[in-house]
Amino acid sequence: MATTAESIAMPGASAKKPKDLHEHLMLDPRPRGEMNAMVMESMHTTSKKFWGVVVFLALTILFALLGAWGYMIAEGMGVTGLTRPEYWGIFIVDMVFWIGISHAGTFISALLRVMKYEIRRPFTRAAELMTTFGLIQAAICIFLHLGRVWLAYWLVPYPNGRAIWPNFHSPLMWDFMAITTYVIASTMYLFMPLIPDLAMARDRSTGWRLGLYRLISLGFTGKAAEWKFLKTAMNIFAFAIIPVMFSVHTVVSWDFAMSTRPGWNSTIFGPYFVIGALHSGIAAVMIVLFMIRSTMKNMKYFIRPEHFEFLGKLSLIISMAWAYFFFNDYLVPWYGGNKFEQLLLDFHSHGPFAWVWVSMLICNILIPWMILWNKKWRKTPWLMLVVGIVINIGMWIERFVIIPVSLTITRMPFTWRLYHPSIEIPLTIGTFALFMLLYLLASRLIPLVPVWEVQEGQSAHIVRKVGKAMVTSVSNVD
Amino acid sequence: MADTLTLLALFADIDPTVDAIDKLHSMGITDEKMDVISGIPFNEEVLGRPDIPTFIPRLAMGGAMIGFIVALFLIFGIPGLYPLNVGGQPVFPIPPFIIIAFELTMLGLMGTAFVGLFLAGHLPTYEPKLYVPELSDGKIALVFPCSVEQQAEFVDAMQSLGAEQVRPVEAKTL
Repeated sequence: MATTAESIAMPGASAKKPKDLHEHLMLDPRPRGEMNAMVMESMHTTSKKFWGVVVFLALTILFALLGAWGYMIAEGMGVTGLTRPEYWGIFIVDMVFWIGISHAGTFISALLRVMKYEIRRPFTRAAELMTTFGLIQAAICIFLHLGRVWLAYWLVPYPNGRAIWPNFHSPLMWDFMAITTYVIASTMYLFMPLIPDLAMARDRSTGWRLGLYRLISLGFTGKAAEWKFLKTAMNIFAFAIIPVMFSVHTVVSWDFAMSTRPGWNSTIFGPYFVIGALHSGIAAVMIVLFMIRSTMKNMKYFIRPEHFEFLGKLSLIISMAWAYFFFNDYLVPWYGGNKFEQLLLDFHSHGPFAWVWVSMLICNILIPWMILWNKKWRKTPWLMLVVGIVINIGMWIERFVIIPVSLTITRMPFTWRLYHPSIEIPLTIGTFALFMLLYLLASRLIPLVPVWEVQEGQSAHIVRKVGKAMVTSVSNVD
Repeated sequence: MADTLTLLALFADIDPTVDAIDKLHSMGITDEKMDVISGIPFNEEVLGRPDIPTFIPRLAMGGAMIGFIVALFLIFGIPGLYPLNVGGQPVFPIPPFIIIAFELTMLGLMGTAFVGLFLAGHLPTYEPKLYVPELSDGKIALVFPCSVEQQAEFVDAMQSLGAEQVRPVEAKTL
């Protein structure tokens, strides 16, 4: 069992004071009942401000998403800014962006679980939830882009009178397969570790909540066999979902890279997209954790500066990796001397969208590197919120540069034309509002902190004396 | 049997629970007859109990194979029925097959692991259960049958090992 910081404050242990140890959630255990009560209280607490935000977001969705989409369906795709040569615009930018956001949930939850990173424990669910809700937005963006959305079922392979079958040579079909797999798998992966927490919520609820939790906790009681089966299935998922995560954004990148367009036909697009996805996804986790910590009751106990520090460090490494891939993707066409690729690179850095291109580099490289090198700053939650927002702006811009900006330069100069989005802007705002609304409602319906995982982690940590220092040891009880 | 009841002994920590399991073994309660219920997972090694067999990995492998076979049909069966000439590529292309096969194999693997969790754990089930809400507060329960005549003996044994409560329990709707 965990040795609390008080109990190890022994003579001679002056190198590290108990106060320092309390900074770490895993070394600052509270009784499980108390932690349950804290999480339940955070779920039950709402205010007029909360409902005000809910109503505002609902109205935004009604007008910006549903209203604009209805108008676009009624009037046709001509109301968008899409035209030759930019047939792919902000809908695809948004789709790639949201799939990128969805990567962090799996990355943090599965990879850190496999690698036994204990610091992951309190925020895995917050990240997993982001995956599921991010993928919902990505799916909406695909349907927005389809135009004649009522014919979406033509993508599904089934015998039909039209003798139309999906073309499995097409990267779009690979994309459909990869995203479908990822949506289903990540939703199941979100649900499995949630079951014991839903059972905990069931034991502490009355009224409609009791009925809801009784239903979705599936009768879980915590028998040794139930835990064994749950852990077995979760282990299978943790290993299997990681390559699927990598495959999804790689396949998304192939939507572009399989074409012979200047700027798209790149063999490095797969890993470049994956790193970009992780960059925006980890930054989004920082934003979400800040919002949870600052707006939900009792969350300061679970989400601490140490978690921001960890994510900041991860973000710095990923930012460096992104810069490396970006430079690779820039250098090879620059060196190659292909006329249209050189024109495109020049258009990026000196054309009318040059300020966008420069902003991308500032947001994705300069600002993160200036801030994230400093441990004290990494431990400052509001600063990490700022970095998270900046990186996400940078990564959205990166996709904007890759898609409509790059589409401007084709091998037929008489088609060159700047992209001017119109109805795409409210629809983009609508997807952001829907993501926030779903998250807000979920925060009051499901425990955002996996309490059983936190307790499991705390019970595995002990502090022991080595020489004059107090050091942490973690027991491997898996 | 009419003179048999089920006892639930509640412990605050894992170490006395494990001692109590050993004691129950010595008092004739086999592993098949007792259950350990807890708010966090403890594996069999920690509890000193025999391994709980599970078919979930084998089921998942079966699911992966089914996914692979479906991919074979999609990528080779469909072009066989409706051949498409795409840029001079073969009608039955291998590289795209690898992508489709990977996605469907993984989907089959994870889908059946998920279903396997429910099949193995007999979930969902909404029947009355032997359960007390304190368990999700971190307590650990040992649930075992005993005769009415032996009840006092078992209660004493459990309490002497640190059980916070030892009481007869009946299945209740959760």
